[in-house]
Amino acid sequence: MSGHVEITERRAGTVDIIVVKGRLDAGSSEKAEERINKLLDAGGRSLLVNLCDLDYISSSGLRVLLAALKRLKKDGGALRIACAQPQILEVFTMAGFHRIFSLAPDEAAALAGFTAGP
Amino acid sequence: MAFSIIGDMFLVLLQMICVVMVVAYLITRTASFTRVLDGLVTWKSQAVLTLLFGALSIYGTESGITILGATANVRDLGPMVGGLACGPVVGLGAGLIGAAYRFSLGGFTAVPCATATVLAGLFGGLIFLAVGRKFIGMHGAVLFAVGMESFHMGITLLLCRPFDEALEVVEEVAFPMIIANATGVFLFALIIGNLIAERQTKAERDTYLSELERKKAELRIAHDIQMSFLPDRLPEVPGFELAALSLPAKEVGGDFYDAIPLPGGRTALVIADVSGKGVPAALFMALSRTVLRANALVPRSAREAIREANMLIAEDAKSGMFVTLFYAVADPAKKTLTYVNAGHNPPLVFRSGGGRPVGLKGTGIILGVMPEADYGEETISLESGDLVLLYTDGVTEAINPGEEQFGEERLIETVTGCRDLLPGEIVDRIRDAVTEFSGDEPQFDDLTLMVLRVV
Repeated sequence: MSGHVEITERRAGTVDIIVVKGRLDAGSSEKAEERINKLLDAGGRSLLVNLCDLDYISSSGLRVLLAALKRLKKDGGALRIACAQPQILEVFTMAGFHRIFSLAPDEAAALAGFTAGP
Repeated sequence: MAFSIIGDMFLVLLQMICVVMVVAYLITRTASFTRVLDGLVTWKSQAVLTLLFGALSIYGTESGITILGATANVRDLGPMVGGLACGPVVGLGAGLIGAAYRFSLGGFTAVPCATATVLAGLFGGLIFLAVGRKFIGMHGAVLFAVGMESFHMGITLLLCRPFDEALEVVEEVAFPMIIANATGVFLFALIIGNLIAERQTKAERDTYLSELERKKAELRIAHDIQMSFLPDRLPEVPGFELAALSLPAKEVGGDFYDAIPLPGGRTALVIADVSGKGVPAALFMALSRTVLRANALVPRSAREAIREANMLIAEDAKSGMFVTLFYAVADPAKKTLTYVNAGHNPPLVFRSGGGRPVGLKGTGIILGVMPEADYGEETISLESGDLVLLYTDGVTEAINPGEEQFGEERLIETVTGCRDLLPGEIVDRIRDAVTEFSGDEPQFDDLTLMVLRVV
């Protein structure tokens, strides 16, 4: 089965930063979903997903991000995505995700976005 | 002489132990005993067990070896185990049976021996109650046996007269009786413990198997839902040749395709991939397909049909469910294909003149995410011999044992190599190419294909 993904978590102030490296596909999405849900269950309301080193995302990966976004929106939280690589952006664009997600070129810009509001 | 008595005694005890082992095995395998282990105490099973343990007590008396008119025996064993494993009723009952038999034999230790046997059953039963209506376990049981037999010796000394004779008897039989009864209880405890462990393992295995069965059933249901929502057979598409195939993965995703005849000889083609797996994905697929069909049949433009369908689907989408969908209306009169691509892998158009295929890129967001989303539509003109390949990412993302993806390049090569065949044959060729590429790697996602050729 495919699915080499590495997920790490950090915090910057009130923002939970989750860094996803490798491949987010059918095999690895469940793991990512569990980690994100754990953060949100713990009360996280500002989630920054760092995709600097994400090489590949499939539709199951998109579903995980979307589920997180929907959950956060419902609870008055926010999700921002930092530095998606060109091949990831292409998938986002194909799915129309660039229209519903806040995308930032790097982590600093995404962090600044949280304080500035939506 | 003394050695020979002790030697004989141990031989007899050994013989008893063998019998006890067999009896222990047989008793613990009776339906009555397992029922008691399950906590189902009926009068009938208690009566059966009382008789069995009572009989063991009589055997314990009969098999004993006589020393100075007193007998070293395992009479107390049956009542003790009966009480420890089955409760006070069985313990006391077996004790009374054993005691009555002993009393009938007479002798100057008859009263303390009979009393001790009754008490052995009663105390065993009280311990059963004290530890919460279950068997106390091996250590507790053996300790109890040692204590009970010491007590037995104690009341013999207390009640039997003349005291000197009683003391002599007790000195002779105390050690062998304690050892014999403790050994007997130990054997019972061992066998009961094994039985409990065995039943626990079986219970765990049963739970695991039923869980597995449930999962299998769920997969089968998901598969059945998905299959029942795929067209049994494609309609005739005037002016076109059409073939399609959908191979659900084991953990079914939610791929589907459709061909809907529209007024004016036109046909709506649909290929879609629902996110997620199993029953939820299959149900969402069923919903999406139905909504889409209903909207396709209302006379209006492709983009309006999709916009409306999206609105309905988005209202029902839970926990990040979505559908990537490609919707196209083929018009044989105008020789055009008008399409809306809602986040689906771009279908490939192979022109009759050859050259690299063109992708029909996205014209809007995936369905189910934004209720108020707008969709664009594009129209391309088609010529005789043009070939349109619609597929889901299960095709290009099929993985080989080296974790490489099948990819778009291989797909294009495969189609280019057989593009003059009938659409049905092209579909088969692609399927074969993917299957061969994947090798032993299991199919992880549904794999769906549609090939349309202009006549």
